[in-house]
Amino acid sequence: MRGPHARDQQMSRDQRATPRNSRSVSPGSASRLAQVHRDIALSSLRRMLSTPGSSLMTTFVIAVSLLLPALLFGLNSNLNAVLREFQDNARITLYLEEGVTNSRGLEVSESLLTGTDISTAVYISADQALSDFSAAVGLENLTQELTTNPLPAAIVLTPNNAAPAAVAALAERLQAIPEVSLIQVDSVWLQRLEAISSLIDVIGRALMAIVVLGLFFIVGNTIKLAIENRKDEIRVIKLVGGTDIFIARPFLYTGLYFGLAGGMLACLLQAIVLIAFNFSLRELIQLYESSFELRGFDIGNALLLILLGAAIGWTAALLASLRHIRAINP
Amino acid sequence: MIKFDSVSKRYLDRHEALSAISFEISKGEMAFISGHSGAGKSTLLKLILAIEKPSTGQLVVNGVNVGRISRRQIAAHRRQIGTVFQDHQLLYDRSVFDNVALPLEICGYHRQEAGRRVRAALDKVGLLSKERSYPEALSGGEQQRVGIARAVVNRPCIILADEPTGNLDPDLSAEVMRVFEQFKSVGVCLLVASHDASLIQRLNYRTLILHEGRLCEDRMPGTSR
Repeated sequence: MRGPHARDQQMSRDQRATPRNSRSVSPGSASRLAQVHRDIALSSLRRMLSTPGSSLMTTFVIAVSLLLPALLFGLNSNLNAVLREFQDNARITLYLEEGVTNSRGLEVSESLLTGTDISTAVYISADQALSDFSAAVGLENLTQELTTNPLPAAIVLTPNNAAPAAVAALAERLQAIPEVSLIQVDSVWLQRLEAISSLIDVIGRALMAIVVLGLFFIVGNTIKLAIENRKDEIRVIKLVGGTDIFIARPFLYTGLYFGLAGGMLACLLQAIVLIAFNFSLRELIQLYESSFELRGFDIGNALLLILLGAAIGWTAALLASLRHIRAINP
Repeated sequence: MIKFDSVSKRYLDRHEALSAISFEISKGEMAFISGHSGAGKSTLLKLILAIEKPSTGQLVVNGVNVGRISRRQIAAHRRQIGTVFQDHQLLYDRSVFDNVALPLEICGYHRQEAGRRVRAALDKVGLLSKERSYPEALSGGEQQRVGIARAVVNRPCIILADEPTGNLDPDLSAEVMRVFEQFKSVGVCLLVASHDASLIQRLNYRTLILHEGRLCEDRMPGTSR
């Protein structure tokens, strides 16, 4: 047995004289902090892996919760992609009054191009419309059968700005041209799709809010159980002067890991769902001769999902651990 | 260092565990608290550690008014005090080394520095060879000494000990008391709860005797019963 010698004595006096926080600014404290955190991070990971069944279960629940809104947002971004693809060829058809001559029709058609909001205007005379129609339906002699041409002349426009609101405004303006009898905007279904898309967006956001709340409860409860299991240990640490945040640290890592693992698993599940859908969609898409591919799985989205999971896990763990650790008294 | 000024502790069931206790222990002083079980020794130690708060009276420990201490201050207050618990309060899933290192870990010591201090503390209680063992593999007396090593490892300015020699044979008791005396000689204030009358008599330190929550005798060293 050795007694505390003079140097120890000196050191203990120094230590008492200086507030404990002042030690944290000494050189090398960053590396020390990193070491402390690495130790805690590793031991938290080991603890999680020591109960693989329940850890996997919790991770899976988090992943599935994150997957639902992620899929909705994915669906929406696909819808938006469809919208963009079709918006480029939004068309407005102006049907002209019956008495308008071909030359007047051409004049109107050309005058439309003077503005900046229309990129192309093609005049289709009543005769051409009829011959196009009969060619399309395969009745070449239809023109001979009919005594009068039932079809009106038309002008087909491609607007510069294909946004539904801009197209609608343009159509309203064109209505004022006296030669025009009827306007058909073939982007109405696009507008409907856009309305559906914004509805899905709202539902997705609401679902996300519910899921975040749910995840707080799931992670919070997991942390609460972990704290319950280590109650005796926490009591001892409190007795020897451990602060609540010191005791909470390993639990914060646990929450972070659950969030990260849940986010990663959600990404994986999302990828699986997309691949499965793409497979069955391919045939349908080929019928439409479209080059469209299901999107929604890019690195940015995946990282966002993982980060979101991690942030929720850590925050939930912080709230839960501080609350439950405070309740434990030696 | 420790100053009780007519401190009483009444529990919710109106049982008065301590009534109007007044005494002061200064820096570098060692004192025993004695008395039969239930006399209030444990309550007194709990008050010093801020596990309980006094019902009336004022208790100042190391300049801190324990009755008015805030939640946040409690941890820092306890870090100034090394405590040897009667029931050891060890962590059974950590090795002896890690148990003793706990107070240093809380303070954020570097691993090497902590290692040196832990080994010095274990050496003082004669358990250096057991640093890799787990508390369960140790005898009651060895566990007690691990608790003592943990109490002194952070070089606290106050050491509280609740029956520190309860599980030890006379030789080891004497060793432990020698460790305590070394700390006393460097200015640490020690308060040892014990009912080992022969040990108290042999060491001849100031002794506070509690009886049913009252301080019935404050015997100074040199005076005999």
